Amino acid sequence: MKKSLLLLLFLYFAPAQLLAQDLPISQIILEGEGWELVSQGHQFTEGPAVNKNGEIYFTDVPSSEIFKVGLDGKVSLFSDQANRTAGLIFGADEKLYGTSIGGKEIVQFDDEGKPTAIAKGVNCNDLVVLADGNVFFTDHVNGKIWNLSPERKLTEVASGITFPNGIIAWPDQKQLVVSDMKGEHLWNFVIASDGSLKHQQPYSTMQTPVSSTESGADGMTVDKIGRVYVCTTLGVQVFDTQGRLSGILSKPQRAFLSNVTFGGADMDYLYATSADKVYRRKLKTTGVRFAK
Amino acid sequence: MTRIRIDLMVAVLLLGLAGPLLAQNKYEYGPDSKRQDGVPRGNISQHRWEDSKIFPGTQRDYWIYVPAQYDKAKPANVMIFNDGGGYVRENGHSRVPVVFDNLIHQGKMPVTVGIFINPGVIPAEQSGGTPRRNRSFEYDSLGDQYARFLIDELLPDIGKRYNLTESAEGRAICGLSSGGICAFTAAWERPDYFSKVVSYIGSFTNIRGGHVYPAIIRKAEKKPIRVFLQEGSSDLDNLFGNWPLANQQMAAALNYAGYDYQFVMGTEGHSGRHGGTILPEILEWLWRDHPDTPNSSK
Repeated sequence: MKKSLLLLLFLYFAPAQLLAQDLPISQIILEGEGWELVSQGHQFTEGPAVNKNGEIYFTDVPSSEIFKVGLDGKVSLFSDQANRTAGLIFGADEKLYGTSIGGKEIVQFDDEGKPTAIAKGVNCNDLVVLADGNVFFTDHVNGKIWNLSPERKLTEVASGITFPNGIIAWPDQKQLVVSDMKGEHLWNFVIASDGSLKHQQPYSTMQTPVSSTESGADGMTVDKIGRVYVCTTLGVQVFDTQGRLSGILSKPQRAFLSNVTFGGADMDYLYATSADKVYRRKLKTTGVRFAK
Repeated sequence: MTRIRIDLMVAVLLLGLAGPLLAQNKYEYGPDSKRQDGVPRGNISQHRWEDSKIFPGTQRDYWIYVPAQYDKAKPANVMIFNDGGGYVRENGHSRVPVVFDNLIHQGKMPVTVGIFINPGVIPAEQSGGTPRRNRSFEYDSLGDQYARFLIDELLPDIGKRYNLTESAEGRAICGLSSGGICAFTAAWERPDYFSKVVSYIGSFTNIRGGHVYPAIIRKAEKKPIRVFLQEGSSDLDNLFGNWPLANQQMAAALNYAGYDYQFVMGTEGHSGRHGGTILPEILEWLWRDHPDTPNSSK
């Protein structure tokens, strides 16, 4: 009885859902809420990461500094030992993890901002740390994706992407998305329980500037319903759960846009790192913390 | 599940059914879409395809309709239906098995095997994961990947079980919405394989770049494909485009380039109802000059 009723419901409603569902960016944009400046005077900002309180950490790659943005908007220095760390994210252990390009290491920061390598001798760009402790990071030098297991075992899990740059998981943490900076695609992978990746697919096609096939794609984030946000030359491209382009949020300034993440006490601000500055804007959706 | 939730679901279901039933009286099913006494029924079987190389990791259901008049000594024609689960149901928007039974019996279309294919889904590997829905990727993407999936993977396998035609003249492909543009794309990319296209409320819009077709059709050398387009004036106008305008552009481009086409603009929204009710006429037009269509009135 229950099953047949569910089937009836599915048969009746499924076509409408399949056919008509769309997620225009008008659903997430708040009238009158544009980009606002959070921090400036840096060289090349990257890696915005959100902790359990909604506070944001970001790096200034060339100066090897990491800054913290409090809920009051105050910016303070967290670490000056980052050794050109580019990507940042908080783990389930509430520790900050990063990709040190200078040290060729995946690092974990203690509460005083001191890094400890958890993987050495790696080419790394950006990373994601899942709640189960699995780390995935992009290696743009070799066009590869690596898994660093909770036991700190390093394994190559994907290859053949021209310039893998940004990396993020779906909100369920069972699917990985990687952006190709020198191509047009976002690549999706199913994450197997052993940390390997399956069913690689160019699930989404990004818009590129006229006369270019390079998206300029970099950092990514996801919101609660699974939209994927990716920084590109044209702005923050937003994709729906079927991999379709929903729209493009304008860049905060005419400069390189490196990364985005949701933060704030209610997780409803999109923070963006762009060259010398960090911005944020309030949206009508909320982000997802990977360190659940 | 609690009793309350079930009651709520029933209420939602009834409300959901009442609206469309009241609103959709304009397009009614004719006798060829209804069971008629003395008309032999074809056989429908359900299958699953899970080892695609072109769409790795996808799983999908598909159905095969074999008309009662099928003779394994004689190659049957083939018609593909995208979003096949909706087309194959006798109480669905198009009632294809009923229509095929009636038209083949009357000699208004040739003996044709119907192949009804659902879009792929890539399930998560770990429990609790969200499946990756592949419909938009498969249907809205331009290029030959879906045609190759049919031609290189699925149809050869079905061809082992049934004697299917080797000629493009005997192959048609049909779909609605994204399945409509998918049908066109398959024939556009492989006119050597598909010669007949039916699209209801086709998404010739910018979901994944399909809005470019009218421009391309006008400049490309004409291809040997026949196209039926159904559209409704209340169809979608959203971030991807305006469906009624997009279909008018398609029709105008096909007209300009000298194609054998038909365009019907009704008043429905994004629904298969209008296309479904006129499916007998569409099929008769589509197959009108096929050598195995003895009694075509078109």
